[in-house]
Formats: sequence, C-alpha cells, structure tokens
Amino acid sequence: MNRRLVGSAAATLVMVLVAGCGGSSEADGKIELSLGLFSDFGYDKLIEEYMASHQNIKIEQRKVKMEQHNTQLATQLAGGRGAADIVALEEGVVSQFRASKDKFVNLAEYGAKDLKSQWADWKWNQGTADNGEFVLGLGTDMGSLGLCYRSDLFAAAGLPTDRAEVAKLWPTWADYAKVADQFTAKTPNVKFVDTGRNVYKAILDQTEEGYFAKDDSYIAERNDKVKSAFDTAAALGTKQQTGALEPFSQEWNVALKQGSFATTTCPAWALALIKAGAGDGAAGKWDVTTAPGGGGNWGGSFLAIPKQSKHPKEAYELAKWLTAPEQQKRIFKETGNLPSQPKVYQDAEVQATVNEYFNKAPVGQIFATSAESLKPTYRGTKDSKVGPVFASALTRVEQGKQSGADAWTQALKEVQDVVK
Amino acid sequence: MGLSRWDAKYTPYLIITPFFVVFAIFGLYPLLYTAWVSLHDWQLIDGDQGFVGLENYSRLFGDPNFWNALFNTLSLFVLSTVPQLLAALGLAALLDRGLRGSAFWRAGVLLPNVISVAAVALVFAQFYGRDFGIVNYLLGLVGIDPVDWRAETWASHLAVSSMVMWRWTGYNALLYLAAMQSVPKDMYESATLDGASRWRMFWSITVPSIRPTILFTVVTSTIGGLQLFAEPALFDPGFAANNSTGGSDRQFQTLVLYMYEKGFRLFDAGYAATVAWMLFIVVLLVAVINFSLTRRIASKG
Repeated sequence: MNRRLVGSAAATLVMVLVAGCGGSSEADGKIELSLGLFSDFGYDKLIEEYMASHQNIKIEQRKVKMEQHNTQLATQLAGGRGAADIVALEEGVVSQFRASKDKFVNLAEYGAKDLKSQWADWKWNQGTADNGEFVLGLGTDMGSLGLCYRSDLFAAAGLPTDRAEVAKLWPTWADYAKVADQFTAKTPNVKFVDTGRNVYKAILDQTEEGYFAKDDSYIAERNDKVKSAFDTAAALGTKQQTGALEPFSQEWNVALKQGSFATTTCPAWALALIKAGAGDGAAGKWDVTTAPGGGGNWGGSFLAIPKQSKHPKEAYELAKWLTAPEQQKRIFKETGNLPSQPKVYQDAEVQATVNEYFNKAPVGQIFATSAESLKPTYRGTKDSKVGPVFASALTRVEQGKQSGADAWTQALKEVQDVVK
Repeated sequence: MGLSRWDAKYTPYLIITPFFVVFAIFGLYPLLYTAWVSLHDWQLIDGDQGFVGLENYSRLFGDPNFWNALFNTLSLFVLSTVPQLLAALGLAALLDRGLRGSAFWRAGVLLPNVISVAAVALVFAQFYGRDFGIVNYLLGLVGIDPVDWRAETWASHLAVSSMVMWRWTGYNALLYLAAMQSVPKDMYESATLDGASRWRMFWSITVPSIRPTILFTVVTSTIGGLQLFAEPALFDPGFAANNSTGGSDRQFQTLVLYMYEKGFRLFDAGYAATVAWMLFIVVLLVAVINFSLTRRIASKG
C-alpha cells in the first residue's frame, strides 16, 4: 500500500510542478510542443530543422521505453493531463487506444483525409476508426518482415550462405523447420532460432485475421491459422531448437554476442537492435534475406494528438511534416526505419540502400519488396492483451515444462479471462 | 497568562497537524478512493463503467491467479525475511564486537541498500541466466546440472529472495547494531563472572534487550516483503516488453505484480483496486500475527 501512496503523492507533486513550468515557459511567446516517443524515431535532426524554420515553435522530445510509454499514456489519458502534444502509438496497441478515441483529436478536422493517398492503404486504415471518418494517427514507419541469419553458422552446418540461395531453402515455414532439423543435426550446440515466439508471431503476421475477425470478434479457437502457427513454433521448442529467449532482452543481447543462435525474424527496425546487441565483433557475419511465407508486418507506429493538447493545430502541422514522404525517406537512410509510404519505395536512393553491417545486404530492395507484397493482419481491440498469453504458452514449451498441446489448451483457457 | 495557557494546550496539536493533513490527502484519501474504485467496473482510460458492488471481490476469491500470487507472495516473504533477519542479527553481533576499522565495516553493510534496485535486479538476472549465468557455471563446477531459474517455482523463489536478502540484510543489521550498543555492558560482565558462554549471553541478554527493534524490523519487513514488486518484475525479462506475468506460468508473480498486470496492462482498474485492498488486508493480518508472535518469542528469553 505504502508504495502506491508514495507513488500517487509523487505523481501529484510532479503534475503540480509540470503545470507550473508550462505556464512560465510560454512567457517568451513561443508555442511549446512536446513529443512523447519511445525507442528511436530518428527525429533529432528533423526537429532542429523544423524549429529553425518555425521561429515561434519550441519542440521538446520525451523518450522513454515502450512499455513505460504505453502505461504512462494510459494514465495520462485517464487523468486528463500530462500527455504530450503528439504521442506515438505503436501498431500493437493502436487498436487498444482506438477504443478510447474520444480522448484524441480527430485529425480529419484539420484536413488529414487529404493526405490519405500518401500511405499504403492498410497502414492508413490501421490509424483510422468509424470507416475512415475518424483519423486517429498519421503513420510513421512500418515493419515489413525479413529473416536475419548468421552466415558463418550456416557454413559450419553445411548450409548455403548466399542470401538468394538461403531464401530458396525456405519458401514456406514448413521448409524453414526442415532447415532447422538439418542445422541441428550438424551443429547441435547452436540453437537455430532465438525463440519460437518470434516465429509464431511472424507466421501470424502473414495472415489476414489472427486472434480477431475483422468484426472484432474473438476467433483464435477456431482459426486454424493460429493453431498451425502455434504448432510450428511449439515443434521447434519441443526439439530444443530455440534459445527460449525474450526478444530484445538483456539475455537476448548476450546470446547475440555469444553467437548462440543462427536465425531470427527481423522487421526493418530490428536490424539496428541486432547490430547493437551482436556488436562489432559480428560485423559481416549477420545477413538478411526474405522470410518464409512472404511479407508480413510487425510494428510501425502512428503519431496522434491527445485532446488535452493546448495546441492541436500546431501539433498537427508538425506531425504532418514529420510523416511526409520526404522526411520518412531521410529517416530510413539514417536509422533504417522503413517508410510506410509506397512512393518512397520506388525512390532510387531507397532502392540502392545497403546495410554495411549485414554483409552489405540490399535492405532497400529486400524490405521494399516485402512491404509491397504484404497483407497486414487485422488487429482486434484486445490484440495486445491476447498475444502475451500465447507467448507465455510457447515459453513454457521451450522451457520443457509442457507439451505443445497442453500449453495450447492452457492458453485458450487463460485467454478467456482477457477477451470476455 | 490566558494566552500562555491556550498556547500550552493547543500548540502541540497545531505542530503535529501538518502530518495528519498530509496523511489525509496522500494516505487516507487514496485508500478510500481505491475502495470506491474496487466497487465499480472501472477501465483505466475510460473510467467508471458502472457500479457492480462486491462483484470484483467475489471474482477475486474464485480467481486461481489471485491465490497463486498470494502463495508466491507469502513464500517469497518467508524465504527472504526469516533468513534475512537471522543473518542481520548475526552480522550485528559480529559488528558489535569492536572489529578493527569498524566504521568501514558498518558503512559497508549498508552499501547494498544504497544501490538502485533496478541495477541490483539487472545484475542478479544475469547471475541466474540459464545458458550464460554465473550461478549455473559455478554449479557446473561441482557437477550439478544447470537450473532453469525462471522456469521452476522454487528455483525462481530462491533467486528472487536472494536479491531481497542482499539488499536488506545490512540495513537491518545496522538497526540491530544501534540497539545492541545501548545494552548495558555490566550485564555482560556479571554474566561472564557467572561463567555464561557467548552464545548463551547472545540469546539471554542481547536478543531480549533489543526486542523493540526486532519488533520494528519484523513489522517493516512484513510490509515491505508483502509488497515485493521490483525484484520479481525485473527478474522476468518480459517486463520490459510489458508481457510480464511473473514467469511463463506465473511462477513468481506476486500480488503487486498481479495488480500491475490487471491495472496497467489489461486496464482493469476496478479489479486492480480490489487486489490492492486485499493486499492491504493481508499485510494488516500478517503484521498483526508477526507482531504477536515475535513479542511472545522475544519475551520468553
């Protein structure tokens, strides 16, 4: 109890202080805009430029970890104050915040609908509600899928290392599982994949409907695709071909550094994380190719404006500029975050982009091709709450605590508590 | 004359008033507000969805995850608090014997407490890694198979308890040491003349003499231990991704972690408030039980 009380006391104090600061800083006549972000959106340089060309505007970035960002935003929306003027909504949770759209500005009021044609249709639709009448957010990047692999470990297992040859090994996920068997037979001490959970998520991200049908009804139990994705991943886990690692955790970084797994599914934004985790020692060893089963989408965000913002018009202008094709192209070149706008893919510079660290892989071509072919999964309002239940189930399989069938049964039972 | 009598009568109340005002605002009000929220279907963002009476409570009593979290909380509490307080008592007795460089040792035992809990958890999480952890490496040296510390209930409880012990043993030892220093030395002298052993003197003189301090540490450890959050949260690598349920099968999910899951991940604020209130009652109960138990034990000596 004590901790809760202290927490709420601290929060109140902070709010009082923040309110005090807000008042005084506007005294110099500038409009102050805040941006609530997580990880790296690559906005640092762009924001400096924007402030230089808009002398009356002062922009402040607030970056926190994604988990903290989502929780904070929820409490700020609930409390009616404290949220930034522009907030980033990640693809996995955007549907959940869409259910509380009355807390956000309808960007259509500022003419957002005129921009619709910039984006891939599905990306635009993810950020809207009421059949497109309510525009919740403008799309930033997207997360079309690739597959990253360690070519030195592939060579050690007697597999091809050239990225075109590797792609031919796995047209489907069943083929991918066969490659896993070959790999494990030759090099039993190295795990084939970091975690079955990423494989599961990748397969799901390639289907049109996952846990929820397009009318937002819960269908995981009767959707064969969910079951078969689960079975494929669980089989890898049962055969101990997975590292049982939490994606992007500290342990995942250690495993990357130790070179203890050979493949991982990677959306465009994950390349930077792999590079950071594996370090310079693995430069040129990692490579990227197309994922089994074609394109899919994991991640990518939206910029939205909470109703509590005091300057929604100026915030909209900034969000519009930050998400415009020209700026998305620059962000791609700097951080590798893949634009969500088809026009950018055909750009010669984007097409010619290679990633030095990943053995000079032509990431521009690989991800643009994947992005053009992808059919995104419909995300239900409770998608972000259902997903972790199945992820935990797969972890139990990887830990050797349960069979795939038992884990599945338990997950279906537990998920009832979330979807009802 | 009249004024000074008024002054003597009311000034003390005036002086302690700020505490009660602050307590009412930051203590009592949230407590009552939480009770009010627990009687509603309350969504974190969208707020009140209607009065449901005691429905959240009846749901809670039939919720196996709640009982699991309660069991984990009590297990972690016992596993960490009992050895911790005994170790602190021993440590304090050693420090009390006037070692060379005593200031260094006394400051040293407090050091673990000063380090941020997030840093502690991060380091310990590395220690207990399944594939690259130091603990499994050391176990391997003596021929013990690697333990998957996060997968097994008891292993995970041991790991989390070790973090708590590392942080708080020194802190409690210093409290005991302060109390031990005020025990009259002539009691030990006459006991020595009577031929009592050090062990006997420790249990018959030292422990009964510092009884109030032991009671204090038992109560504060009860409150702290039952609210365990940061250590188990950071022990679960999924916490950073907001996927944490305290282990793949809730092996080390405590009540506060469960409250966090319900409130801030699933946005069910009404249910989270219910868990909070049950936690409050559990803390009260356990504190009262501990208080009376320790009083009885300590007075026997």
